[in-house]
Amino acid sequence: MNDNTHSRSSGFMRRVLNKTFSGWGARIGLVWIIMLAIMAIFAPFLANSMPLLVSLNGKISAPILRYLTIEDIVVLLAFFTLLLLLLTPARRSLKKLFLYFVIALVIVTVATLQLVVEQENIVYEDFRTDLKTTQYDWVVMPPIPYAPQDYLRDINTLPLEAPLENKAYTHWMGTEENGGDVLSRMIHASRIALVIGLLATGIGMFIGVILGGLMGYFSGVVDMLGMRLVEIFESIPTLFLLLTFVAFFGRSIYIIMIIIGLTSWSGYARYIRAEFLRLRKQDFVQATIASGLPLRSILFRHMLPNGIAPLLVGATFGIASAILAEATLSFLGLGLVGAPSWGQMLNQSIQSSTFNWWMAVYPGGAIFLTVFAYNLIGESLRDAIDPQMAKKAGVVG
Amino acid sequence: MSANDTAKKLLEVKNLQTWLQTGNETIKAVDDVSFSLNKGETFCLVGESGSGKSILALSIIQLLPVKISHHPGGKIFFDWRKQASFDSKATYETIDMLSLDEEQLCDIRGSRIAMIFQEPMTSLNPVASVGEQITEALLLHHPEMSDESAKARALKAMQEVQIKDAESRFDNYPHQLSGGQRQRIMIAMALACEPDLLIADEPTTALDVTVQAEVLKLMRELQQRKGMSILFITHDFGVVAQIADKVGVMKQGKLIEFGETRQVLAQPKHAYSQKLIASVPENLPKRSISSKSSDELKTLIETKNLDVFFPIRKGIFQRVVDHVRAIDDVSVDIHQGKIVAVVGESGSGKTTLGRAILQLQKPTAGSVKISGHELVGLSHNELKPWRKKMQISFQDPQSSLNPRILVAKTITEPMQVHGIGASDEERIELAAQVLESVQLDRDYLWRYPHEFSGGQRQRIGLARALALNPEFIVCDEITSALDVSVQAEVLQLLLEIREKRDLTLLFITHNISVVEYLCDETIVLKNGKVVESGLTADVCGNPQHDYTQKLLAAVPRLNIH
Repeated sequence: MNDNTHSRSSGFMRRVLNKTFSGWGARIGLVWIIMLAIMAIFAPFLANSMPLLVSLNGKISAPILRYLTIEDIVVLLAFFTLLLLLLTPARRSLKKLFLYFVIALVIVTVATLQLVVEQENIVYEDFRTDLKTTQYDWVVMPPIPYAPQDYLRDINTLPLEAPLENKAYTHWMGTEENGGDVLSRMIHASRIALVIGLLATGIGMFIGVILGGLMGYFSGVVDMLGMRLVEIFESIPTLFLLLTFVAFFGRSIYIIMIIIGLTSWSGYARYIRAEFLRLRKQDFVQATIASGLPLRSILFRHMLPNGIAPLLVGATFGIASAILAEATLSFLGLGLVGAPSWGQMLNQSIQSSTFNWWMAVYPGGAIFLTVFAYNLIGESLRDAIDPQMAKKAGVVG
Repeated sequence: MSANDTAKKLLEVKNLQTWLQTGNETIKAVDDVSFSLNKGETFCLVGESGSGKSILALSIIQLLPVKISHHPGGKIFFDWRKQASFDSKATYETIDMLSLDEEQLCDIRGSRIAMIFQEPMTSLNPVASVGEQITEALLLHHPEMSDESAKARALKAMQEVQIKDAESRFDNYPHQLSGGQRQRIMIAMALACEPDLLIADEPTTALDVTVQAEVLKLMRELQQRKGMSILFITHDFGVVAQIADKVGVMKQGKLIEFGETRQVLAQPKHAYSQKLIASVPENLPKRSISSKSSDELKTLIETKNLDVFFPIRKGIFQRVVDHVRAIDDVSVDIHQGKIVAVVGESGSGKTTLGRAILQLQKPTAGSVKISGHELVGLSHNELKPWRKKMQISFQDPQSSLNPRILVAKTITEPMQVHGIGASDEERIELAAQVLESVQLDRDYLWRYPHEFSGGQRQRIGLARALALNPEFIVCDEITSALDVSVQAEVLQLLLEIREKRDLTLLFITHNISVVEYLCDETIVLKNGKVVESGLTADVCGNPQHDYTQKLLAAVPRLNIH
């Protein structure tokens, strides 16, 4: 029995996560997402024009640190806080962990905004000139020595260079029409792909679960009003709303995320409502009411885990479609200007007069793999949440 | 049966083995079973769930999927009547069902061996009219028939199963018929081709007891008229006593007892059949009903003129045109320490009454009082202090526990809400004690509901109800889904707990024998109205109302005199 006290503290979500990633499909998906996440977090160190470390007359300095943006710093600090939280020996429930993380994230963001001043108008060519002219003892460059917005104006090469064509300057995935390194842009774009998918879907799910849950549980008038609200939101064409907002408020990734989230909750609300209508009359829910449990517990502890399965599958598609929505905006030329995104890169590939396969294959493949990975994880998550189905599907060994 | 009829063997099963393959596991679902069935006889196959009764039946008619099942040994001899049409001369040939090819099997299935199933709703096609379905079965086996004669024959079959107004029912769809009528249609479909063997897999289990009595009577009559044999699968010994000539008891794939019905029921040889028959509520040792009369005890639950109406809405404005009166003007007093039964057919409002008392279903009008305190009209939060005193335990062991959370959480969460136990550790200890009081291991706290059998889940459901130390528990058909031996254990457990804790129970059931065994008082409901109430001995021994009399007469009794 003492062995079991351990499993008690582990809680529902932790157990589900353990189960989810015991199958190979979800593991592959997870490996890809983790790879993307690492690339997104360490993007400035992986692909940049300035040296990571230099030694000048025995004095070691890291010029790259001076040129980090506020976003870079927030992402890095958030990552290390999470790592710290996960590695501290005290076992915590997932819920508390999440809470601490959110608090830490807010503190980090506020502190960074207050303390850090961004370097503006970086001229990437200067770094290469500097490297040639100054006599450094040694230099450590990032693995890909080109920043995404570094258009290599000092190097006399043609834009749209096929991968590994230029022997002097290695471009693993070729260059795009302005001469920027495709691999570098791919790495930096993984940030947008990850964040837009997760945050937009997160916002949508949060609103959808709460409204849908209330609609399903109370039914009657609440349901009637709720469903009309759902219909109103479903009648708003997301893309045109996005276009309007972009036109009014400029091209901000955050506005895009929030709008995708605010318009996509209706689908999740429908799923949850239908599940809750079914669950409401189930005996175990009636038993919780008969036991006098508070509404919060009935809704979120007893009904939600039983009704979330279709939502998770929907959410994986939601992440995918959020990534695609951003790609569409970029395709229409209304995406982000400076920062690269996979959609924008795809757009570039069809705009040039000749077909350059490396411009289509790499970003297209990345979008495909990311969507695929989310689907694998979603599928396996659904099976793990249902202990009976997990055995049947063979996902859980 | 005359000696001539019984002389000829229709079916002989010899050392039959049916093994099922699931993954890497082989289940010996039917293991070395031998029996024979003569023409015109009824053979009842009894056993608890999972004993292999249905698999045996499906093996005989060869309906098991070939991919997952095989027969390592045994033979099924069937006396095949070959007859071109209904009027031509018949020839007989004894064949082994296991050696036939699919085409021959199709000739036999439906026309010579017919089968009817438990659930009449799902075994009829919902998008075809019942007449069409009978005609289709006929035409399939008798392609020489014209459409008109097939229709005439189908109508005749419907009349034979006593469907009133068969002409107009012919074009009805399954959902327009009641459960009993649907089962009659199933029988009509099975009998349309005049089979020699009818396999009936729990055909009356889903039906009300009065409907069951009618269907059983019908089957007996038809059998005598047509001289067919019936292989009847059931778990109800009352039904066995009513219809069987021979009876076989199955346990874990083996036929452990086989013989004449009277002999098996009176003097079972095998220890397991003895235990099974002893578990039938009628055979359970009679307990002494508490001598205190109701007047001396204080009233715990009191309902006055309780109404629960469900509105029927019509038209585009969803106007309320009428109400379904689920509970109609019900006034009952439940005294402290009594076990009160609520009986009635399905749809009589038994469950709604239980839920309306607990305020799980908001009453339309009337009052419900617990120890003199009014419950109707209280909000979710206002009801909370009263929730502790009254609990519910459910029928369906599948849906009564939250599959996503540990048993420990299921039991301790209500305790926490009601402030029982100072810490998590203490509550876990209390929960373990409650589990032990329903005769389960305390380690079961750390498991999920799907790891338990139906009987165990039912006990966990009971433990959850007991955890709050309530005064009053509504038991909503808690033994209906259980096997008879498990039912006996749960019933005895209930009595034991009641003795210890001075509980008051409202026991909702359709099983009269359980009521007679367990309950002090009985309330008979019909269409939401109380038709009779009083001490169980009075209500069941000397029923006054017509409906009660009909209900009691329909109960299949074990001891037929």
